[in-house]
Amino acid sequence: MSAGTPLVEVRDLCKHFPVGAGATVHAVENVSLQVGRGETLAVVGESGCGKSTLAHTMIRLHEPTSGQVVLDGVDISGLGNRALREHRAKMQIIFQDPFASLDPRRPVGRAVAEPLLIHKIAKGPDADEQVADLFTRVGLEPDMMRQFPHQFSGGQRQRVCIARALATRPELVIADEAVSALDVSIQAQVINLMMELQSELGLSYLFISHDLAVVERMSHRVAVMYLGQIVEIGPRSAIFENPQHSHTQRLLDAVPIADPRARRDRPLLTDEIPSPVWAAGTSPERVELREVDPGHLVAAEG
Amino acid sequence: MEPLLSVRDLTVTFGSFTAVDRVSFDLHEGQTLAVVGESGSGKSVTALSIMRLVELGTRGKIENGEILFRQPGGEVIDLVQQREDDMRKIRGNAISMIFQEPLTSLNPVYPVGDQVAEAVMLHQGLGKAEAAERVLEMFRLVRIPEPEKRMVQYPHEMSGGMRQRVMIAMALSCDPKVLIADEPTTALDVTIQAQILGLMRDLREQTGAAVLIITHDMGVVAEVADDVVVMNRAKVVEHGSAVDIFENPTEPYTQALLASVPRLGSMQGRSEPAPFELVEYDS
Repeated sequence: MSAGTPLVEVRDLCKHFPVGAGATVHAVENVSLQVGRGETLAVVGESGCGKSTLAHTMIRLHEPTSGQVVLDGVDISGLGNRALREHRAKMQIIFQDPFASLDPRRPVGRAVAEPLLIHKIAKGPDADEQVADLFTRVGLEPDMMRQFPHQFSGGQRQRVCIARALATRPELVIADEAVSALDVSIQAQVINLMMELQSELGLSYLFISHDLAVVERMSHRVAVMYLGQIVEIGPRSAIFENPQHSHTQRLLDAVPIADPRARRDRPLLTDEIPSPVWAAGTSPERVELREVDPGHLVAAEG
Repeated sequence: MEPLLSVRDLTVTFGSFTAVDRVSFDLHEGQTLAVVGESGSGKSVTALSIMRLVELGTRGKIENGEILFRQPGGEVIDLVQQREDDMRKIRGNAISMIFQEPLTSLNPVYPVGDQVAEAVMLHQGLGKAEAAERVLEMFRLVRIPEPEKRMVQYPHEMSGGMRQRVMIAMALSCDPKVLIADEPTTALDVTIQAQILGLMRDLREQTGAAVLIITHDMGVVAEVADDVVVMNRAKVVEHGSAVDIFENPTEPYTQALLASVPRLGSMQGRSEPAPFELVEYDS
């Protein structure tokens, strides 16, 4: 898939949050991964597994506790603000709720123009023209740039957020549950759009999702997270057709099957995920991954 | 057999907007019926109308139609014609409801056990000690581990899945004939969703309550429903058994909806990602 060096390489990334009395949430713990050029890496797991924190730490919305994030050959984890800004243009993020991501009092065209102005890519009439192009690219009428967020449907608003993310011509786009709040027919349209844009522009996606059926559609590789660590990572077909870790299996088993004839009787489980909070002086055991097939890594289970 | 609940030609408006337009369906004893549709289709308003909650707080108005309910005694009443006083005796008693977000449905300043006890003390006239017994019994029914410990906890001390179990326990505590579940698993993780759906299927066998489940998720429909009502833009577009709806949808809207459902396993043997093959639907 990825020719030559990967676009992004994450090495031993950790993000801890203090929660008082010396205790710490180990939200992201020794995560290493790569995202190839033009590739979609999906990160899946339950609420609280650290998948969003991983994404936010990668683009330094959170400061990493330790570890490196190498983007295009440059370690961005230690860069100062000014240097970071230059590299931020290469990585953009789309969030779950497009309504919360847009200023209700400004025309949406201004939201899309803003990154062009901040990164000095274009200004004046040239910026307007680029915004119009971006609107067309995501399937919106250029005239719509003068309208306000409340005048759009949820799917259209997410298209605006995609247009804004594309304004700086990024190489990596992080989609943090970007289609989870959309109706299923709109979700399918937005996913198709994202895949079209990927082949046109050669984008890499880090696709954060809890929905495995969607992930199966659109990813090249998949990482499964549990309690802040990656427990399995590999090509999509390996994860879906040959899952090795019990937690991957558990996630796959839980997906509802859209076929009433395939209804299964499941054991009535009541177990819950353990806490990622560790008392002062204690820390989780580091999970070691071993390669079971080329590119397919699995954590040993005790 | 005479239905337990029969919605006939229900029309609900908000000002000049018609949210539910001549909707009809029947719910039978022991049946699980899913009302499925996208945002704004009118599915939740239909559910709120049955509880007669649509007129409270909002400017909803039941313009037309009947909601016939066969009471435990056998008498059939039209819920649309009931006075608020009488509805209070029915709500949470013969017909109860669970919602999407259990945290907003529970009072944050009281232990969860007290909140379930309140329902049985109010509706069934139980004393404090009897009510506590009943709560314990209900917590065991919905498989809450260590129920004695959990009873005295506050909502914020519980996970989303445990809170939804508490809500189900509360809804079932007065032995309802009809349980309305409005997106009961939408806010939950997929692993917890599987637990709750399994629990709901199991409870139907144990309690015999008919279930009306409101959802946007065709996967959830396939997991629990016997029959399905598909709604779009305030109207019922298709009504049939779950197997028929999934295998032979006749209406273009249902076909378009099913085409956009991601299905696990659909990508087997393909190495590259693939877009959805969408069906055009012109409304």
